[in-house]
Amino acid sequence: MSAALSDAVGSRRKKDWPKHLFIWGFLAIELLPLYMMAQVSFKNNAEFIRNPWFPSNPLHWHWENWAFAAKLILPYVANTVFVAVTGTFAMLAFAVFGAYFFGRYKMPGSGLLWSAFMVLMLLPGIANIVPLFSLLKEMSLLNTLYAIIIVSVAGGQAFNLFVLRSFIEEIPKDLFEAAEMDGATHLQRIFHVVLPMSSSILGTLAILAFLGMWNDFLLPLIILRDKELFTLGVGLIYLDGEYVKQWGQIMASYFFAAIPLIILFLFTMRLFVRGLSQGAIKG
Amino acid sequence: MALSLSRQKILQEWKLYLFVLPSLLLVVTFAYYPAASAVYHSFFEWSGGYTKQLIGWDNFARALHDTTLIDSFKTVFVLIVFNVFKMIPSILLAVLIHRLKSDRWQYIYRVLLVIPMIVPALVTLFIWKFFFDPNLGVLNHVLDFTGIKTLLVSLDHFFHWGIFFDNVPIGWLAQPELILPSLFIWGFPWIGAVGVLIYLAGLQSIGQEVYEAAELDGIGPIGKFFYIELPLILSQVRLSLTLLIIATFQGYGLQLLLLGDSGGPGGRGMTPGLWMYNRAFIAGEFGYACAIGMILFVFILVLTLVNNRFVRVEK
Repeated sequence: MSAALSDAVGSRRKKDWPKHLFIWGFLAIELLPLYMMAQVSFKNNAEFIRNPWFPSNPLHWHWENWAFAAKLILPYVANTVFVAVTGTFAMLAFAVFGAYFFGRYKMPGSGLLWSAFMVLMLLPGIANIVPLFSLLKEMSLLNTLYAIIIVSVAGGQAFNLFVLRSFIEEIPKDLFEAAEMDGATHLQRIFHVVLPMSSSILGTLAILAFLGMWNDFLLPLIILRDKELFTLGVGLIYLDGEYVKQWGQIMASYFFAAIPLIILFLFTMRLFVRGLSQGAIKG
Repeated sequence: MALSLSRQKILQEWKLYLFVLPSLLLVVTFAYYPAASAVYHSFFEWSGGYTKQLIGWDNFARALHDTTLIDSFKTVFVLIVFNVFKMIPSILLAVLIHRLKSDRWQYIYRVLLVIPMIVPALVTLFIWKFFFDPNLGVLNHVLDFTGIKTLLVSLDHFFHWGIFFDNVPIGWLAQPELILPSLFIWGFPWIGAVGVLIYLAGLQSIGQEVYEAAELDGIGPIGKFFYIELPLILSQVRLSLTLLIIATFQGYGLQLLLLGDSGGPGGRGMTPGLWMYNRAFIAGEFGYACAIGMILFVFILVLTLVNNRFVRVEK
């Protein structure tokens, strides 16, 4: 019986191997940039031209590429961490408060307010960028990191409200009513009912927000002028323009740009894969 | 009666409005105000400072005869076609992973898919720019190695393109004729991890018995795709299609970084968004840039409305 079962499973597995082969093919090309980044970062240009594909001998690795990259990139990384962490936190905090208003209560005018937010999802951000630039200039926020944070937080409200509202609506009403009986204030209800009940979706939204800000370069490119304030986006663009020749140094710098994301993914990979796989972001 | 009731509600629970206030203030200041300002300034000659001159519809009239803008619209439609085509590998990969019998492998592949996301998008972009490098780039190495280069050269001889030659590295981002092909190849094999995971979520609702029933009816792997799998992820596919078209339509980041602010050699990579950026921040013609923004806005609004009308997403 068990032999027959394992036999059946075995033959089913066998039929799967062409699929595995295809998937590995896709994945190999998909992972190629990561591989190239890692192995080229230890070579100088001569070695790279002689041997572009395979890693060089670890005894001859050029660690000075990494030293160079660290000195160049770490200040940018610090700026970007500041922007992305503050921005993610503020974006979700405001969105949770707003979603509590929309998801839990039907106040007069809430329908109108809701459409005011949802229309923004259709508004192309691109038409705004020129007036936004002059608005920031008038507020003397140009060339500050705060400008990037505020604009990103404002830009993320519609989407995050949209997702969070439906989650808050699905929290059982009894929980809120019980909290109300106990005399919990609205803030207490948010902290003790909403946050614990929507922690997984908040995690997924936080990762998406963080990635969005980490990867953004158009806004920083327009807003930032001083080198000390550069985020990775602008920093890497200038690197691309200035040091075109030294590929090893460039790749090592790229690697530094990825390190915080590597750390983030190490801790949140499961949450992220599960969140997206369960259709946390509904169509 | 209804009015007095809602007034009572407002008086009792006015504090609730404080919860939506921060979001509202942010959105009004940094989305609605700039949008209104863009509409207003599209009727001005304005270089970003305090002086501006009302010129009525002149900016729009100029846009109608702006050949760069008109060409950029043609380019962006080609790019949209490219990007729609590029959705296919993600769908296929999701279906392939879903059809695996082993749950463990399904999970492993999901995790492996997410790994490339640790490379910041901008870095991926620059690495691709490096792949395109004529002498050092991976792409030319691969084409030489696989013999595709020889094929391209003989095709060139046959059709007299004048693009590919023996012993001359292909100048991917340097030759006007190759700009659009480069933008097509960019990102090969065009897998979007988030997209694949969302499609997989849609596919999860298919039970094993559906497949078994299909097998009894003699439906092959391709039939299964069209009869079972595609219908189930259609709403996700439609949604990503809409988002993709809108994003491509207003996109200019990729072109700006790969090709520069004038759209690369011959301006072949110029998109409407990039032209707007160019007019505003390179030429200082903010008023005209606002007008281009308005034109883009109208196009995107129409696209969205058409989509909502005809491509209804069923729940």
